[in-house]
Amino acid sequence: MTKILLVDDDAELSSMLEQILTREGYELTLAADGETGLQRALSGSYNLILLDVMLPGIDGFQLLQRLRQQARSTPVLMLTARGDDDDRVAGLELGADDYLPKPFYPKELVARVKALLRRTPNTSVTPEPLEHAGFHIDPMQNEAKVDDVVLELTPTEFDILRVLVQGAGQVVSKDQMSVAALGRQLAPFDRSLDVHISNIRKKIHHNPERIQTVRGRGYRLMALASA
Amino acid sequence: MRTRWYQSLSLRLLILFWLLFFGVASSSYLLALWFSKPVEPQPLSASVQNTLTPLLSDSQTFASLTPGRLLAGDFRVVASLAPEGKERLQVERNIGTSMQRLIMRQLEADQAEQIPYNNQMLIGPFYNNERRILLVRPLTLEERRMQVVSEQEAQEAQTTALLIGSGFISIVLGVWLVRPLKRLTQATRQIAVGIESPELHGLPKRSDELGELARALSNTAHDLAVSRDAQRRLLSDVSHELRSPLARMQVALTLSHDENDDSMNPHMQQMGRDLERLSNIIERILSLSRLENGLVKLTRVDVDTRELVEQLAADLSYVDAEQGRRVHVLPKAPDHGDWPVLSSDSELLRLVLENLVRNALQYTSELIELRCEKDGNLYHIFVRDFGEGVPEEQLQKLFEPFFRGDPSRHHKAGVGLGMALSLRAALVLGGKITAQNHPDGGLEVCVSLPKDGK
Repeated sequence: MTKILLVDDDAELSSMLEQILTREGYELTLAADGETGLQRALSGSYNLILLDVMLPGIDGFQLLQRLRQQARSTPVLMLTARGDDDDRVAGLELGADDYLPKPFYPKELVARVKALLRRTPNTSVTPEPLEHAGFHIDPMQNEAKVDDVVLELTPTEFDILRVLVQGAGQVVSKDQMSVAALGRQLAPFDRSLDVHISNIRKKIHHNPERIQTVRGRGYRLMALASA
Repeated sequence: MRTRWYQSLSLRLLILFWLLFFGVASSSYLLALWFSKPVEPQPLSASVQNTLTPLLSDSQTFASLTPGRLLAGDFRVVASLAPEGKERLQVERNIGTSMQRLIMRQLEADQAEQIPYNNQMLIGPFYNNERRILLVRPLTLEERRMQVVSEQEAQEAQTTALLIGSGFISIVLGVWLVRPLKRLTQATRQIAVGIESPELHGLPKRSDELGELARALSNTAHDLAVSRDAQRRLLSDVSHELRSPLARMQVALTLSHDENDDSMNPHMQQMGRDLERLSNIIERILSLSRLENGLVKLTRVDVDTRELVEQLAADLSYVDAEQGRRVHVLPKAPDHGDWPVLSSDSELLRLVLENLVRNALQYTSELIELRCEKDGNLYHIFVRDFGEGVPEEQLQKLFEPFFRGDPSRHHKAGVGLGMALSLRAALVLGGKITAQNHPDGGLEVCVSLPKDGK
């Protein structure tokens, strides 16, 4: 049974979402505030966390931050009713996998949940290790290395890097990456992929330009000049 | 704190200018004095000594030498001073006061010297029996020339000194007055881009009007920042408060539909449409407000406009193939250059164009033409439709929020925020938007953007 944790202080919305997601065959646990949410997220083993931003006590961002500090890589889908694009992107920068602004179509939510669950480790597509330009991806071990240094990646970041390594230096379009890693087409004003890429770059801090932006087309991996 | 009268800039300027003028005037006066004072006495030249010594050694001749009397050559007696007697001092008549003063001084001198003065050379004093006389002779041509040259040199030195002096003074003045103004200008620019505490250096500590201005400026910057924060918070709260119930309604609608499990009843469908419309309106009002209040952060990158409009057309086709077919991106015109790569914010630019194109799609049923023209440093992107156009008097109103062309005829048209959003976004990008009816029919909206952003 796939277990989902929903952290939202909007009780009515939570119970309705519970109905919808239960009908889709998921087992839902609710938490109405940040502290409870964090406790449950850390204690239980959930396949996915749906996280509202505005919460009493610690807010969604803080919760996410502490969760990631504990090295929990459970996929997180942020639900946000706050308008700013900054707010939307802020979640991704803290390590959320995707976000969905409120109000949303419940169908859209279900689709995103499915997309995020589809690519959790045990359902990985290519089990063979991949290698290109100093990057090493082992989907079986769920391990990513660059120049033999292990990278701490969230599942989404892992998938994005995997697609890039698979591309073997060719340009991988944003749409390709979005479908492979987020399970959906990229909407016009969607910056989530760029934020994920910038997160990965930050983690390769000695050499962030190894993931090259090809304007208007996508991204590709660059081999080191000396290599 | 208000500026006291004695601290006021006007008073300071007054005093400063007075001091400066006083300084310039007195220095030039001193210089003039310095250079115009008579040349220092020189020892007697050997030739004079040779000519005069024999003549003056005879005491009888010496006694007969009275002012006005000619001696050998050009030498003439100009003054004599006897040790006693009623008229012990005799001076030649018709002699200027300054010359007289010089004569009096020279009569007291210890030994004979020669002093060039005006056109004459004053020579003496010579003694005999305690009587003293002074002689003059006209300057020779050579001496005269030397005098003129040295006068010229003096004048040049004077002019140079004055120029350097006044230059130095104006630099001091400039630094003192212009630097604070420059800093204030810079600070104002910083405030304009949203910096809460602009760099004013020591300016607010000044006690004059400039200090007052600096303090007012920094208060304003603070107030602006506070109100901007308040605005941001308000927007965030409002959007949260409106979106949460909308989210519930959306979910509730889905639940009620699924439970009945038959084709959605028309009232529910209407509700669904209105819900979507409502969230659309909220989204747009919030975007508009963010744009108007400068809360949108620009991320300038190189934007290939051709790629952007083609992507836009492709996205419209994806949603509605029929609409997509109506959007035509014209290739480059022979004399207008290609679609440019601009330094701009791609999302905002897309917002501008997407709203214009969607608007045209909604209000007309013909083709929509997109083309680009270059005009100096500006690029004009035209969105033209082939509909009925807009009455001239409404062209300006097109960009007002909630204005709709003819609501009765276009029931399904938007909420009237698209064009307003486009305009605000274009302004944020440093461009502008104008609308006009094309001579051959249809509305033509022109987005003008600078090549390099600002």
